[in-house]
Amino acid sequence: MNINAVVRLMSLLSLWMRTGEGQIFQPELTPNTFLARITSNTVMLKQPYCVFDQTCPDCEIWLVAGLCSANAIFDAQVNSSTPNILSLSPYPTAFNSSSNNFFLTRVGLLSDFPCNLSSNDQYFVVGADGKCSGINCNGELPDGFSVCFKYLLIYTNETLVNSSNWSVNIDLPKLLNLHNINDGLSARSGAMVVITSILCAAAALLLLLFFIMLCITCCTKKESKEISVTNSIRIPRYDTHDLKNRVHPYDNPAYQSDFKNYSTANTLPKDAAQKL
Amino acid sequence: MGAGALTCLMFVVIALNAIAAAAGLALFAVAIWVAVDGYKLYPISGVSGKDDIFAAAWIAIFTGFAFFLACIFGIFAALKRSRGFMMVYLIIMFIIFLFECASAITAATNRDYLVGNSNLVKKQMLQYFADSSTQGKQITQTWNRVMEQVECCGADGPSDWIQYNSTFKQMFGSTYIWPLSCCKRLSTFEVEDKEGCMVGKASTIFPKGCFQHIESVLSRYTWAVSWYGFSVLMLVFFTLVIAMIYYMQLE
Repeated sequence: MNINAVVRLMSLLSLWMRTGEGQIFQPELTPNTFLARITSNTVMLKQPYCVFDQTCPDCEIWLVAGLCSANAIFDAQVNSSTPNILSLSPYPTAFNSSSNNFFLTRVGLLSDFPCNLSSNDQYFVVGADGKCSGINCNGELPDGFSVCFKYLLIYTNETLVNSSNWSVNIDLPKLLNLHNINDGLSARSGAMVVITSILCAAAALLLLLFFIMLCITCCTKKESKEISVTNSIRIPRYDTHDLKNRVHPYDNPAYQSDFKNYSTANTLPKDAAQKL
Repeated sequence: MGAGALTCLMFVVIALNAIAAAAGLALFAVAIWVAVDGYKLYPISGVSGKDDIFAAAWIAIFTGFAFFLACIFGIFAALKRSRGFMMVYLIIMFIIFLFECASAITAATNRDYLVGNSNLVKKQMLQYFADSSTQGKQITQTWNRVMEQVECCGADGPSDWIQYNSTFKQMFGSTYIWPLSCCKRLSTFEVEDKEGCMVGKASTIFPKGCFQHIESVLSRYTWAVSWYGFSVLMLVFFTLVIAMIYYMQLE
C-alpha cells in the first residue's frame, strides 16, 4: 500500500510536470493518412510513445476501448478499487445490451515505447483481431457508434499505476448494407435516344415508301399506253416457226443486224414509240 | 425514263449495293470482335443477367453477313433489270433492316442499365467477390484480373470495401480489409508491401476505382455494335430508296 501511495504521488507529480512540457497525454489517431485509418470496426492509433513518463521496468500499457457513453462507467468502476481491472469487461460480451460497453486490451511493455524512439510511422490497430473470444483480445468495435480510448499503465500484479486522459470522440461510420445499393436504371444516355428514335423513324419511312411504291406500280400497270405508229419503227416479230437466232428475210431489212429473238421483252415497241 | 438514264440509275444501284455489301461484311467482323470479348468482361454482364450487348452482337453477326449476301443478290437483280428480283431483294433487305435496327437499339439501351453509374457493378462485386458459387468464382476471377492489370481497386475506390458489408468482409474481414489484388506488386508478382497495403498506405495500394475501365470497355463494345450498325443502316436506307426508284423505272 505504501509503495502504491508513493507511486501514485510520483505519477501525479510527473503528470503535472508532463503537462508543463506539452506532451500528449491521451490516445490519438495516427497522423498518417492511411485509407483504413477509421473503418467501421477498427481504428488506427499512434503507438503510445512518450505517454507515460514513469520508469517502471515491468509495467505494461493497456488500452481501454469503448463507447464514449461508457467513459463514466469505466472511471467509476476503476475508482472503486476493484482488484482485477483487466477482467472488468471481457471482450466477447463487452458490447451486449446490458454490458459495460468497453474492453481492455494489451498494447505492449512500457519499455518498448521510450520517448527518444518516438515515431509517427508506427501504429496500433484497435480491432485487429476481429471477432475474437479472449477476455482481453483486441476485438473489433461496434459500427456506427462514437468510441473513446484511454491508456492505462498496469503493473505486473494487475494494479493500476497510471491512466491517461480519454481521447476525443471518434465516430465510427455505420457499415452500409450492400443490398441497399440501388442498381436500377440510372439515366438514359443521349446516344440511346438518338439511335432509337432515328432508327424507328427510318424503318417506318422505309415501310411507307415501300407501300407507296407498290401503289404507284399497281396503278400505272392498269393504264395502257397507245402505241402511235407513224413510219419506220421496229415491229414485233412473232415467230410462227421455232427459228431461234436467225434473221427472218421478210422483215424490215434495216433491223436485220439485230439478231435478237423478237419474242423477248427487249424489242417490244415501248421505247420506240416515245422516241418519235 | 430514257435508256441512258435507266442505265445510269442501274449503275448507282449496283455501286451502292457494293458499298453496302462491304459495310455489311465489316459489321459482321466488328460484331465477331465484340462477341469474342477480348477484354474478358462477359461475367460482369452475364451474372447480372443483363448481357444484351452480347446478344445484340450475335444478331449483328447474322445481319451483317445477311446484308452482304443480299446486296450481292441486289447487284445481280439490278443487272438482270428484273422487277421480280428487285421486289424479292427489297423485301429481304427490309427484313434484315428490321433485325439490325433491333440489334443497334438493344445494345444502346442495355449499356445504360449496366454502366450508367457504378452501382450495379459495385453491388455485384460486393456480393459475389470471394463467394464460392459458380457466379462468385467467375466474378472473383474477373475482378482479380481487372484489378491487377488495370491497377485499380474496387468499383469507385478502395473505400468501397470499407463502407459496405460484403461477402469478402464476412469471409476474410478479420485479416484483410480489401483483396490483395488491390496492392501494388513487383515485377516478380510479389506484393510490394503487404503490411502497408493492408492499412491503406497510399504508396502501396491502387487508389483509383475500376469502374472507369469497365465502363469504357462495355461502351466500346456497345458503340461498335450500335453506332456502326446505325451507320450501316443509314447507308442501307439510302440504297433501298434508290432501289425503289429503280424498281419503279423498270419495265
